[in-house]
Amino acid sequence: MFRVLLSLTAAALVFVAAWVVWDRARGPTATPIADFSAPFVFGRFSVPADNPLTQEAFALGRHLFYDPILSGNNTVSCASCHLQALAFTDGRAKSPALSGGVLEFSSMSLANLLWGQERFFWDGRATSLEEQALIPIQHPDEMDQDIDALMVELRASIKYRRMFRRAYGDVTAENTAKALATFMRMLISSDSKYDRYLRGKARLTAQEEHGRKLFMAHPDTKVSLRGGNCIDCHSQFLTSGFRDALDGFSNNGLDPDGTLPDGLMAVTGNSAHKGFFKVPTLRNIAVTAPYMHDGRFKTLEEVMDHYNDGIVVSDTLSPLILEADNAPDNGPDTIGLRMTPEEMAAIIAFLHTLTDEVFLTNPQLSNPFDGDT
Amino acid sequence: MKLSRFGQSVLIGACVVVTGLSPAHSQDREESQGMVLLRGLPTLDTNHSIAIVELDPESDRFGDILSEVEQPEMEHPLHHLYYSPNGRLYATGLDPVCSLAEIGLSRDAGGAPVVSGFTCLDTQGQIVGEDIMWATSNGQEYMFVTFMGGTGGDDGGSVGVFDPQTNESVKVIEARKSQVGEGEPYIMYPHGISAFEDRMVVTSTVHPDLATGVGNVLTIIDLNTLEPIENITVENEKPLDFPSSPVEVLFARPSIHPDIEPAILANTMFGFETWKVPYDAGSKTFGKPEVIYSGVANETAVPLEFYGNEDELFISHALPGVVKRYELAALPELVSSGPDIVADPGAHHMIFFTSASGRKLIAVQNNLLNLGNGAEDDPTDVDFIADLNAHTISVHDLATGERIATVDFKERYNKGVDNIEGLFGSGFVHHH
Ligand code: HEC
Ligand code: HEC
Repeated sequence: MFRVLLSLTAAALVFVAAWVVWDRARGPTATPIADFSAPFVFGRFSVPADNPLTQEAFALGRHLFYDPILSGNNTVSCASCHLQALAFTDGRAKSPALSGGVLEFSSMSLANLLWGQERFFWDGRATSLEEQALIPIQHPDEMDQDIDALMVELRASIKYRRMFRRAYGDVTAENTAKALATFMRMLISSDSKYDRYLRGKARLTAQEEHGRKLFMAHPDTKVSLRGGNCIDCHSQFLTSGFRDALDGFSNNGLDPDGTLPDGLMAVTGNSAHKGFFKVPTLRNIAVTAPYMHDGRFKTLEEVMDHYNDGIVVSDTLSPLILEADNAPDNGPDTIGLRMTPEEMAAIIAFLHTLTDEVFLTNPQLSNPFDGDT
Repeated sequence: MKLSRFGQSVLIGACVVVTGLSPAHSQDREESQGMVLLRGLPTLDTNHSIAIVELDPESDRFGDILSEVEQPEMEHPLHHLYYSPNGRLYATGLDPVCSLAEIGLSRDAGGAPVVSGFTCLDTQGQIVGEDIMWATSNGQEYMFVTFMGGTGGDDGGSVGVFDPQTNESVKVIEARKSQVGEGEPYIMYPHGISAFEDRMVVTSTVHPDLATGVGNVLTIIDLNTLEPIENITVENEKPLDFPSSPVEVLFARPSIHPDIEPAILANTMFGFETWKVPYDAGSKTFGKPEVIYSGVANETAVPLEFYGNEDELFISHALPGVVKRYELAALPELVSSGPDIVADPGAHHMIFFTSASGRKLIAVQNNLLNLGNGAEDDPTDVDFIADLNAHTISVHDLATGERIATVDFKERYNKGVDNIEGLFGSGFVHHH
């Protein structure tokens, strides 16, 4: 009996040892994302050849995104400032800084980052999501974490060792960035009412449709065409800025020359870019208040008031904004679209069709440490 | 057992790396890719398909089919592709089993476009779909489709009105010559379609069997009532001793270019002419039709499509296979803006795009109708039309017209090429 037990134990030990060796020796698995599909109209995207979208990278990236282990004091995760229910913003004008006070900028919504500008942050200082991902981790006022110290912490975890091995191989800063980038690429919002309308699966109300038309039209008083001109900067399907060169950055008339922040100029050194900021996606805009890079507007009504008659002139103000005037005969007292209250309300109604409840509640994008996912 | 699982995961890993990389690579420049409808040629034993082709002569993959999906099983292929203003892709069809279809499109994890299926739409019995246009009637947008065969018969033909969201047929606009009474407006074999404000124009071309009858009028439809209100005859020279057979039309209008005085332009397939019918928007009346281009005088035949970009209008002539170009701002007059672009016999649809190095290009699809070739004992051959099928796409410098490269689909893929669109947006502005 004892012999049997002994040989069984020995067999089990051999099995475990073999399994451990096999599991360690195994290279990354790289399972393609099951049923990946993105709307055709969102356009071309490319994923870095050395970081294809895989299930393993996504799972790892999701864990890292939600794990406070990424911060120096283990209390702040990416999700502290990027909450799914708020389309990955934090609902504040400016995010809180670790040292007290607030950060310089308002947190940005994270959706459809596969498309649109290939530069990240309000001023475009990161040129890839891989590059972006390590910045908040090391930023003294965001997560204040030494990268090497983080690698030591991650390597100490059996779970992370395994997840890294499956996704990429070793636990490294580069692979951490790649995994976070994969998770962010998979934050695809394509199930709003507007998306369903585009697919022919939903009908907009008369007011939403009126707003959609205004959003897409450049005003032309000669042919009595009314327009909100939003599409000149916020593209038709993604509603984010354009991808080509620096087309996705502009000055939408928030501040006068005297107080105009550097914006993109801080990155390019070109004074023509002073006050230029990344044209953000408007998807889920109804849940991402307050608005603009500094969160100065609390409501979409305030945003519309700005575009309607609150435009502030500066040297680099977008000419597209100056040209778009629905009432040029009303004199030069205010600058803006000068639409009627009904038209502004219609645009706001359209903006509400961009809310994607499926995205905001998708369990696959939620905190993996909640429950047993 | 362990070993086999190990082997399996290595294999899966390897496949993923390969498939993971190649699409991303091929996605580098989508603007130079064309979406084409390819026709299986009966004597060459090939099937109808829809394909994405690389058309940038600077690309290593020039002329390659990047992806291809077979069309639903049917004798006659899909005919023309159109993107709706919301980016949905539709095709009209020649086979009665699928006269109008929506083509599903999506993207895979590498970003590559994927044709995800065809849905044949209920057309209420309307057959031989030709052109599609999205236009408004009483503030409501609809999808209008010309059906050359209509609901059948010798003087058939209809304009189908569809809900652009649900694709449901809302109305069949029909008015048979044999039924409407003497002098009343009728619709027969409609093909071309265009509109301005509340007036739509369709042409009456030729019976789909190319034998029963040929038309020679334009039909004006009142978009308020969706009823035909007027016929305008556009017929003068008869080089083939046939009625003129107006084919494509363009309602030249100020939204195309602010300097344009509204007028209908119509090409006559068998009269070889381009006609102008001036329109007075104030009184909503059409002026006297007039020939503004004569194929007989200019030695061209079978004028087909109108395409515009920001500053030029292009008209294709199947014989000898040229695209003529005009100042957009001068419309409705045809003021030449440069030498002809010499394509191949059958010069028909076209797209505009830029090469990787930024050179502006035009690609012309050269095929009138792929009806096979009598020399190869093809039963679908029609002699006159066989001359108009080069089965090529020729790519030219847009500024000079110089031909840079050609893809011969028959030689390379044993198929004909029926239609071309840009992958999305297609670089044309005014097609209808
Ligand atoms: C303390 C709050 C905070 C934390 C923690 C934080 N972010 Fe952010 N995030 C922001 C703010 C604020 C911005 C805009 C900053 C700017 O433009 O300078 C931003 C911008 C971004 C952007 C740019 C989006 C775009 O469209 O350009 C990405 C991507 C992003 N964060 C991802 C992350 C990731 C991944 C983490 C975790 C590693 C993280 N963030 C942690 C506040 C935070
Ligand atoms: C000239 C380009 C331009 C035009 C036109 C334009 N926008 Fe913007 N929009 C921007 C830029 C740039 C920002 C970010 C500005 C900043 O924060 O400094 C922005 C920000 C916004 C925001 C806030 C987004 C956020 O996440 O905080 C909303 C909402 C918005 N725009 C809506 C609209 C609407 C609606 C229209 C049409 C009525 C419109 N925009 C027209 C460039 C433009």
